[in-house]
Amino acid sequence: MIPTTLRRPLLIFLMLMSVGSIFLASASGSVSLGWSGWFTAIQDSSTQHGELIWRLRLPRAVAAWVVGSMLAMSGCLMQVLLRNPLADPYVLGVSGGAAFATLLGMVFGITVAFLPWLAILGALISILLVFGLARGTGPWSGTRLLLTGVVTASGWAALISLILSLSPDNSLRGMLFWLMGDLSYSTLPWWSLGVLAGSFILTLALARSLNVLAMGETTARLLGEPTRHMLWLVYLLASVLTATAVSIAGSIGFVGLIVPHLMRLLVGSDHRILIPAATLFGGLFLVLSDTLARTVLSPQQLPVGVITALLGVPLFLLLLNRARLKGV
Amino acid sequence: MTSLACQSLDISIAGKHICSNLHIELEPGQFWGLLGPNGIGKTTLLKCMAGLTEPDSGTVLLENQVIDKIPRRAIARLLGMLQQHTVYVFDASVLETAMTGRHPHLSYWEREGPQDKQKALDAIREVDLEGFEARSVTKLSGGEARRLAFAALMVQEPAILLLDEPTNHLDMKHQIRIMNQVENQVTHGQRCAMIALHDVNLAARYCSHTLMLFGDGGWQAGPVKELLNPENLERLYQCPVETLQTSAGLRFLPGG
Repeated sequence: MIPTTLRRPLLIFLMLMSVGSIFLASASGSVSLGWSGWFTAIQDSSTQHGELIWRLRLPRAVAAWVVGSMLAMSGCLMQVLLRNPLADPYVLGVSGGAAFATLLGMVFGITVAFLPWLAILGALISILLVFGLARGTGPWSGTRLLLTGVVTASGWAALISLILSLSPDNSLRGMLFWLMGDLSYSTLPWWSLGVLAGSFILTLALARSLNVLAMGETTARLLGEPTRHMLWLVYLLASVLTATAVSIAGSIGFVGLIVPHLMRLLVGSDHRILIPAATLFGGLFLVLSDTLARTVLSPQQLPVGVITALLGVPLFLLLLNRARLKGV
Repeated sequence: MTSLACQSLDISIAGKHICSNLHIELEPGQFWGLLGPNGIGKTTLLKCMAGLTEPDSGTVLLENQVIDKIPRRAIARLLGMLQQHTVYVFDASVLETAMTGRHPHLSYWEREGPQDKQKALDAIREVDLEGFEARSVTKLSGGEARRLAFAALMVQEPAILLLDEPTNHLDMKHQIRIMNQVENQVTHGQRCAMIALHDVNLAARYCSHTLMLFGDGGWQAGPVKELLNPENLERLYQCPVETLQTSAGLRFLPGG
């Protein structure tokens, strides 16, 4: 953990790095501009290179930032909800529902522009399904929610495999890209910015409550939290963030797990600092990953999910090993 | 004056009767010892008195209001409970955790001020965890975690304290230290406390009143002087009890 006095400078640093990463992403790609070329191009969006930057690269970088920060925030919330530092945004089946609906849409040849809405619809169905089945009438049960969510997620996984095995070869590539998470066809709908800003403000307002909820349901109630309402609110917030992120870029893995975890190691578990730090770093991480995905084998583009997983898996194993040493 | 009352309280769990038609009232300045053998339902009763679970029938009144009708936040400003087990999953510092006691007193966007921090630091010093402020709670020993949970309760400053075996995992020195603190809160702070204990002699030394749970719904409540005697203790623990006259008063030992 870093000293408390460095927390604010860290946030400012992450903010500057975020802006910097978006500019970096706009300058790099299969068409090499060079810094002076980039500088002239960015001033005039009517030139060919200007259009490349303003119409393609910048929107994609901003979309990557928004998706990354949503996944990181959702990961933080899921970890509190399930009281498990190793939970991620997809563990309760939200992305499974979205993926199933999207792939089904692809099979029936629905236009690309409409696919995000199908993803949202699938995610909503999954959220309501898990919510309805796990809610019951008794007190809050994290175990019941976790079991319901995990089983629902594996149900979606089975349906996804079914679609993949029945689909013609020529559509498989697009499906696999979507499943791994890909930003090449992403457009950033205006309302997703609203979702991000709204959830961020709400989560920050609830941040001290999240600290208390992380100490367990009974402790939280004794400290004055109406836990049943609060935990369902956290579940819905995390799910809406995940659904929005997945509808924009598919199920990009590991961001929602690694980023909150890394930030916990860096700033501790006070959500008043953890949430902004994870949100900023999530965005930064995904912009850089996507830039790598576009450039590392250029002109060939990789799905960004491959990069996040390739970076995430070793990082995760390292963290898990640390956790084992600490006796978790 | 804040008081907590149980009126015709019936509680059972898994077919086992914990108390039937229980009437007691905790008033400021009273220090209650809750006695009973293992598994008799002391924790369940305390949870019910904290409004965490509902009784089969009867009511718990906090400041003459039915406790289910009071928002949790308002309850938390008046009533605090130390749970039997304290498990910390996430890495937070000892100071941050002690400061969670201020949670019910702060509004949504409010941050802990210097006064709140001072209260937390004082409580940490009182439970002998000074110098551990920056340490992670996941690295504390069982006894240290227990003392930290007690410190957080002190920071919460409730008028009614419910303590579920607060002396578990604690060595003799820290047992006395915590009991002294509760006694101090009760006598000087005009608060009231109920404390589930297995050590009858701690109850004899500190408590003013006792509630005994005999099982099958049977109970007895009243001043310690009247109730804490070998006959009741033999009935309570189903084993012979011998007494020892000490300079501080009567003490109890398991007999042969």
